[in-house]
Amino acid sequence: MVKYALRRLWQSLVTVLIVLTLVFLLMRLLPIEGYFADNYDKMTPEQREAVLDSMGLLDPWYVQLQRFYGDLLRGDLGTSVVYRPNVAISEIIAIKIPYSVRFGLAAIVISLVSGLAMGVRQARDKGRLWDKTWTGYIVFINAVPPAVYLLFIQLYVTQITRLPILYRRDNPVSWILPAISMSLGGIAGYAMWMRRYMVDELNKDYIRLAKAKGMSNKAIMVKHVMRNAFVPMAQYLPTSVLLTISGSIYIESLYSIPGMGGLLVDAIQRQDNPLVQALVLIFSTLGIFGLFLGDVLMAVFDPRIKLEKQGGSR
Amino acid sequence: MKKVLPVLLLCALFLAGCAAPQATQTAATARPSADFKTVYAGELTTLNYLVTGTTVEQEVAANGIDGLIEYDNLGILKSSLASSWEVSKDGLTWIFRLRKGVKWITWEGKEYAEVVAQDWVDALKYSFNPKNASKTANIAYEALKNGAKYYKGEITDFGQVGVKTSDKYTLQYTLEKPIPYFLTMLSYVSFLPVNGKFLNEVGAKFGTDNKNILYNGAYIMSVFEPQNMRVLVKNEKYWDAGNVHIKKLEYKYNKEASTLAPVLFLRGDISGTGIPTASLDEWMKDPAKKAMVHPATTSFYSYFYAFNFDPKFDAQYEPDNWKIVVNNANFRKSIFYALDRKAAMITAEPYAPERRLSNTITPKTFVTNAGKDYTEMGPLAAIVARDSFNKTQALAFKDKALAELKGKAKFPVKMPMPYRSDLSDWSNRAQVVEQQLEGLLGKDFIDIIPVGYPATNFLGVTRRSGVYAIQECNWGPDYADPETYTDPFFPGGTYNWPEKATGYIEANGKGKYENMVTAAKAEVVDMTKRSNLFAEAEAFLINEAFLIPYAVGGGGYVATKLEPFTYPYAPFGMSELKFKGQIVMDKPMDSAAYDVAYKKWQQDRVAALQKAATSTK
Repeated sequence: MVKYALRRLWQSLVTVLIVLTLVFLLMRLLPIEGYFADNYDKMTPEQREAVLDSMGLLDPWYVQLQRFYGDLLRGDLGTSVVYRPNVAISEIIAIKIPYSVRFGLAAIVISLVSGLAMGVRQARDKGRLWDKTWTGYIVFINAVPPAVYLLFIQLYVTQITRLPILYRRDNPVSWILPAISMSLGGIAGYAMWMRRYMVDELNKDYIRLAKAKGMSNKAIMVKHVMRNAFVPMAQYLPTSVLLTISGSIYIESLYSIPGMGGLLVDAIQRQDNPLVQALVLIFSTLGIFGLFLGDVLMAVFDPRIKLEKQGGSR
Repeated sequence: MKKVLPVLLLCALFLAGCAAPQATQTAATARPSADFKTVYAGELTTLNYLVTGTTVEQEVAANGIDGLIEYDNLGILKSSLASSWEVSKDGLTWIFRLRKGVKWITWEGKEYAEVVAQDWVDALKYSFNPKNASKTANIAYEALKNGAKYYKGEITDFGQVGVKTSDKYTLQYTLEKPIPYFLTMLSYVSFLPVNGKFLNEVGAKFGTDNKNILYNGAYIMSVFEPQNMRVLVKNEKYWDAGNVHIKKLEYKYNKEASTLAPVLFLRGDISGTGIPTASLDEWMKDPAKKAMVHPATTSFYSYFYAFNFDPKFDAQYEPDNWKIVVNNANFRKSIFYALDRKAAMITAEPYAPERRLSNTITPKTFVTNAGKDYTEMGPLAAIVARDSFNKTQALAFKDKALAELKGKAKFPVKMPMPYRSDLSDWSNRAQVVEQQLEGLLGKDFIDIIPVGYPATNFLGVTRRSGVYAIQECNWGPDYADPETYTDPFFPGGTYNWPEKATGYIEANGKGKYENMVTAAKAEVVDMTKRSNLFAEAEAFLINEAFLIPYAVGGGGYVATKLEPFTYPYAPFGMSELKFKGQIVMDKPMDSAAYDVAYKKWQQDRVAALQKAATSTK
């Protein structure tokens, strides 16, 4: 296990370095007008040069890269140059992360509890009204663009229920709709996969043996089917939890939640290079770490899964 | 009375030509007003008004920081933190005496220091330092003596720059050359003050949030939470508090603000909303909603269709062929007269398209000279009086162009026309313009190719890169002089490079338009002559069809509780961003009431302009 972890760590480090360097170089290929918002035409050439100089963009790319990695080794994520000039990136992120994590975790809890329950019920009542109704829900969520139904919910559900239309920190009632909206896709996803994996398990020989031995349906479902069906889904759970930090672009923008959602897109559009690099570093690290945890979790749930190669014929 | 003698001496030295300082305002009493609430989508990146160039960020400065002068709701320039001023006979030296007792206030409402003349010097020293990357410093450093030299590093002693204090409350500017409209420039961010001690204390943190700036204006920012909300509250220690009626301005961030705003307004959550063109019919057909709607004022942004004289677009659109035809005046004129601007404007302004159409680059009522509107001067008067859309003339010029270009150019001429695909109005307008021009002139003559681009860096990849044959462009003024509308077309501009047009080069090797504008700029004594010279230059640009004037900005319809015509009015700068003087009414005004108010405002403004013109003689 230790060897496996070290090997994965090394691979992860190389992956992150490659990704970071690529993003670093790509950002510097963007046109320079993007650094000036709407002011480009009204500025003199000297002013434009001064702005680029203040962002460190007049240095050769390898000098900029060296400076970036040097700061990183000192634990300095850098300072924003366009998104919020002269503000430490750690400060920007520290304000936003709690919002995204809170809503993200709430959405995961709602999705897991509701989605898994729905999927189990669907598998148990396969082909009946319940299964068909919830399949309709899953098809709707997957077919209709989220932008459509989420906006519909915000405009019309708030009208009917008198819930606040925008999030306000000092009004807990305004937290309800965003959390539920964020979980809708997850509910459909967990239900769909849970149903599918459970149906697959129900058709296996060991289940027939269990039934032949006289085990109750409930015991079969809980002790065998659900547990085995959950294993493939467990792989993605750590990543989902860790990447709540990245926020939900659309929900946060719709309900005015000042989270991380959309921050990376904003940073790229505004060409705030240090912020883009910091966010790519964070998200790629979390994503890679999440995958690693997922593999470990799968091995925990299913003892047959070995993380390292065993000696022997295979 | 102590200072009467030196003032008299100064007046003897500095002869007429000085703007008459306004009398001290009588103390006003604040009127009752509800709080102002709104949603917005464009977030502030900084509150550092000494460096920012974006309108959204300048709104904070407009409401939190006062400068030397300001405008009233009729557009008359009056004193703000400068209680009086004089200008020398040669127009190079301006002296301002400050109002005493004005305070710098912290975000918590505590007094920090008194506002003194040194604050203006400190502000310019900061913005003239290239390391601070001010995007608006050029407006000041190009005007002040040695300002440009200091910025470029040719001199290092800031003491040589044309700004200094004579005493604690007296500020002196020395200009590089006489600027007749210099007073009007002082309303812009480039000439706002800052407390030097505070600036040094906070260093690079200045303007990063509401706690790291000081306020001397009508409002203080009490809450600043990016991507969430910001709140400005009335500065109770403000020197003109009696003219500040709205006690609280609340801004709530939402990326879909333009979509949600009408809904929020109808629910009573915000004070006003623009009505999207796509929803206008729905509002106008509903009596209850219609009663809340009135036209929005137009702005002084000028829109025009530019012909590109330095094409760099893709070979598939035949840029070499375009270069040949665009240098044929008759070809340009055929399109100039063929464009049905009203049809194009209906895509954005379906109910009253004529309201926004403009026949000139400089909009009407932007500046007046001796009571006469600039657009009525010289050859511009004839241009203003007619609609450029004329089918007969268009076809006549087409025939001439075909005869002159026979064997030299290939027809139909490909004309790539970029537009922003995220803006539905513009997408529709591009189709309308294509169909209308090709329908009139023939698809065997021109092939207009609308090319959609995303919003990100749109101007960078299209207009500035020369990747267009014809493009809808716009320009906003920086000061109250016709010169401001020549900047896009003067050499060094990034619009359409008319200096590269063939057939207009004069004996000195420069283009005719450039020479005309240079001569106009040089006239700084006789303002009527100056205006006439600019009018001739602008008429030349239009009559030779270097571009097609199209419209002014703004317009559309709004539903708002803000009482119209109470905000400080000026055709440029930050005045219209100010909430000083504004009132939030109990209910919105309908179009009929708005028209009455507008007529009264126009009458009052004409009278005030005449009075101001008389008092300066």
